[in-house]
Amino acid sequence: MNAIAYCFANAMESDASAIARGLRRRDPDLLDRLIEQYQHRLLRYLIYLARNRELAEDLFQETWIRVLERGYQYDGKHEFSTWLYTVARNLTIDYLRKKSPLSLDGLMEDEVHAALEPADTRPMAWEVVQQHEQAERISAALVSIPTEYREAVVLRFQEGLALEEIATVTGAKLGTVKSRLYRGLHMLMSRLEGAQA
Amino acid sequence: MTRDKHDEARELTALGGEGLSDAQRAWLQAHRDECEGCRQYAEAVNGVVRSLRSLPLAADSRLVRATQMRVRFHASRLRETRERLWLVGMACLGVGLSATLSVPLLWRLFAWMGEWAGVSTLVWQAGFMFFFIAPALVVSMLLLARGAHLTNTGERSRQWRRES
Repeated sequence: MNAIAYCFANAMESDASAIARGLRRRDPDLLDRLIEQYQHRLLRYLIYLARNRELAEDLFQETWIRVLERGYQYDGKHEFSTWLYTVARNLTIDYLRKKSPLSLDGLMEDEVHAALEPADTRPMAWEVVQQHEQAERISAALVSIPTEYREAVVLRFQEGLALEEIATVTGAKLGTVKSRLYRGLHMLMSRLEGAQA
Repeated sequence: MTRDKHDEARELTALGGEGLSDAQRAWLQAHRDECEGCRQYAEAVNGVVRSLRSLPLAADSRLVRATQMRVRFHASRLRETRERLWLVGMACLGVGLSATLSVPLLWRLFAWMGEWAGVSTLVWQAGFMFFFIAPALVVSMLLLARGAHLTNTGERSRQWRRES
C-alpha cells in the first residue's frame, strides 16, 4: 500500500516537474494541453469568483496569458492547479480593483445577484428539467453569499482542493479557511431553505 | 450535550472529512449517532455538496480554441522579443569591445591629424567627440523610428484580439 502511495506521489511530482520545465520553455503544445485539461475547472472557479460569465471568459484567457508570461515562477513542487487558481484569483482581484478601489466584496455589491445560467440549454426530459432548476437554485444561492465564503466553498466542494491548497490559493490561514467553509456552507443552506420555503 | 459540542460537530462536518484525526472521526460518529439534529445537518451538507458537484457549468470549445490561439500568438511575440533583445545585447557587447580597443588608437590618430593640420587641441578633441557620438545619434534615430513601428504592431495585435 505504501509502495503504491509512493509511486503515485512520485508520478505526481514528476508530472508537476514536467509542467514546470515546459512552462519555463513556454512550450505552446504543453499550454494547449493544460488549457484543455483545466478548462472547466478554471472557468467554473472564475464564474463564481466574478459572478459574471462574460467577465469570467475574459479572465480565463488572461489567466492563460499570465501563465505563459510567468510560467517560470511555477516551481513544480506543488500541484499545478493550486498555482493556476492563485494566478486566476490575483488577476480577478486586480481587475475588480481597477474597476473600483474598494474591497473585493464591496465591488460586487452592485452586481446583479442573478443565478448563473448552466451551459446546456437543450430541450430536456422532465427529470433533467428538474435537475436544471435545482442547479439554478444552487447557483443563485451560491452567488448570493459573500465572495470569500463562496470562494472557499467552490474550491473545496466543486474543485476538490485540500484545505492547505485553499489556504495557499487565497493567502489565508488554515483556521480562516475552515471557518469560511463552515460559515459559507451554513449561509448556502440557509439561503436554499429560504428559497424552498 | 452543550451547544458548543453541536457547533464543533457541525464545523467538523463542514470540512468534508478532511484533516480529521481518528479520534475526531470516532467522536463525530458517536455524536451523530445520538444527536438527530447533527445527523440531519450532515445529510443536508452531503446533499448540498452533491448538488454543487453536479452543477453543469462548462467551458465551450470556442472559448478553448480562442484561448489556445491567443496563447500561441502571444508566445510567438514573446519569442520574437527575446530574440530581438538577444541581438541588441550582442550588438552592445560588440560595440563595447570594439570601442574599448579602438578608442586609444583613434585618440592618437586624431592627435596626430590635429598636429599635422595645425589646429588647436580643443578643435581636434571636439572632432573626436563628434566622430564618436555620430553613430550613436544615428542608431538612436533608427531605434526611435523602430519604436514607432513596434507601437503600430501592438495596435495591430489588439485589433486582431478584438476581431478574434
